[in-house]
Amino acid sequence: MIQETKIPFFLVWRFLKRGNKWTFLLIIFLMAIAFINLVFITSLFSGIVESANSQIIDTYTGHVSISPVEGEKFIPHATEEISRIDATPGVEAASAQVFLPASLTYKNRSGNWSVIAIDPAAEKEVTNVAAKMTAGSYLDPADTDQIIIGRQIAGGEGVEMNAFSFKGATVGERVTLSLNGQTKEFTIKGIFYTKFIDTDQRAFITRGALNELAPTYDDVATNIVIRITTKGEEQLVVDRLQKNGVTGTFYTWKDVAGLMATVTNSFVLINALLTSVGILIAAVTIFIVIYIDISSKRQQIGVLRAIGIKSYLIRSTYVIQTAVYSVFGVLLGLGILFGFLIPYFNAHPFQLPIGDATLAVSSVDLIFRTELIIWVAILSGLIPAFIITRVKMLDAIFNR
Amino acid sequence: MTDRANVITVKNISKTYHLGEIQVRALREVSLEIRQGDFLVVTGRNGSGKSTLLYQLGLLDRPEKGEIDFNGTEVIRLSDKHRRDLRLKKIGYIFQNYALIAELTALENVMLPAMMLISPLEAKKRAVDLMEKVGLSHRINHLTKRLSGGEQQKVAIARALVNDPQLIIADEPTANLDSIAAKDVMTIFQTLNQKDGHTIVMVTHEQEETVYANRTITLHDGAIV
Repeated sequence: MIQETKIPFFLVWRFLKRGNKWTFLLIIFLMAIAFINLVFITSLFSGIVESANSQIIDTYTGHVSISPVEGEKFIPHATEEISRIDATPGVEAASAQVFLPASLTYKNRSGNWSVIAIDPAAEKEVTNVAAKMTAGSYLDPADTDQIIIGRQIAGGEGVEMNAFSFKGATVGERVTLSLNGQTKEFTIKGIFYTKFIDTDQRAFITRGALNELAPTYDDVATNIVIRITTKGEEQLVVDRLQKNGVTGTFYTWKDVAGLMATVTNSFVLINALLTSVGILIAAVTIFIVIYIDISSKRQQIGVLRAIGIKSYLIRSTYVIQTAVYSVFGVLLGLGILFGFLIPYFNAHPFQLPIGDATLAVSSVDLIFRTELIIWVAILSGLIPAFIITRVKMLDAIFNR
Repeated sequence: MTDRANVITVKNISKTYHLGEIQVRALREVSLEIRQGDFLVVTGRNGSGKSTLLYQLGLLDRPEKGEIDFNGTEVIRLSDKHRRDLRLKKIGYIFQNYALIAELTALENVMLPAMMLISPLEAKKRAVDLMEKVGLSHRINHLTKRLSGGEQQKVAIARALVNDPQLIIADEPTANLDSIAAKDVMTIFQTLNQKDGHTIVMVTHEQEETVYANRTITLHDGAIV
């Protein structure tokens, strides 16, 4: 009994070593393609969702944001609150923002965009707008008559919302900010392009500039944005902040995401749908290929039966063989994925209005899809082998 | 009559093939006794039922009617498992087209059935001895597709012998061979029968091969004449 269990391995090794190399390579290639197809679509959609989420966190809201308590316009004693927030475990950085009901005028064009007063040093620690400057430079804390504006405000040829912009404002030019009847001239110090359209419709000035324009805003905030050390622990940090005596209305980035959340949720749904279709296509493709391959061994199976090899050993032989095909296919697929596709799309990401999307491959997804390919292959090998070991022996031997 | 024991006793077996609407009666009430040490040659025209008879004797097929007694065991109604066991241990079957596994070497083809019963090392040793016996010790590591027809048939003979079967069944073993290779193969069968005492049942079209046999039967339209 123990002796005979060596037979499938004895046969598989020789079938693989001495069988048709082109058939072997073709099957492995098809398995690899089926595997990549499964992983690629999921990774792309995960990449888009991840990119959208990162854009929200990195350029817009941080992980957690605090608004004034209900009925209030401001968070008072912002400096004190920031100190309390900074001292909370899990918080990496926090920045107080003041959203101004202001309008900007450039030449004869004006509009109401979000103008936000910030401490540039603190803001740099929470958002990455500073790293997205495409012209000029970011604000310094001492800047009192400098403004940085998003690409959608500056406008210009090729800008998505050019019609509602300054249609080509450049660094060094002057804009006028009007706030509660007061006006102040600012020089455009820089233009940023985060590729997240909501952020790119913002403008930033320093707290110092705001104090000169409207001292009533001193040490208040309309919003505090917080970066935490570990993504996913937003609620935990909110609980700690509340325990630490921080007051206000707390939102995680998911709460603030708004339209983006709808978009990303739709992507998640589309991803699930496409993954199901992908699984079906991969399963059918692998099944057909393996079924044809094993069915072509009908005569061989008949001979093995005729010389007295047990059916379960014959079935095991072809199941092991297809499992080997699938393992090689998955390995080739992983090689193409990590050796070519991921590096390529990291270097040349998909450019979307919500940000640049690369392939986001999760190990859980990879393991699931690897298992899926292997199980489908095993089943695809087992079914025809099972059928052929059940047909009349003479029909198998003489391929009738 | 002789006092040698019967290896196989066939009683009134019939086999009909259904080819669509047409029914072909391949065997009609065939009865036969094969004794230990027999070299029985079955002759007859194409379609006379020779191969069909061998399939029943080799337990590759089941007749609709009759009885086949193999060493005291009625084998027609035996389970597939038991019939496979008998094929493995008691019957060595040689096909006209050799029926070798292309991906295996000559030696591996021979040792494969033995690996069901003994260790691969012992099977290999036994296969090497048999390859020597059929005069192919210099070709043991060749893939069978690299061998001539005569050499492939010798490999098939060695494979049939590897589990030391009681009965060797050969279905037109020389049909695809040239006269020299055919003579070689027939000499091996003669040795197996006369020196080693193997019981052989062989189908042939070649009248001159009947001289190797100690018994001959002829089938005509599925019946022994």
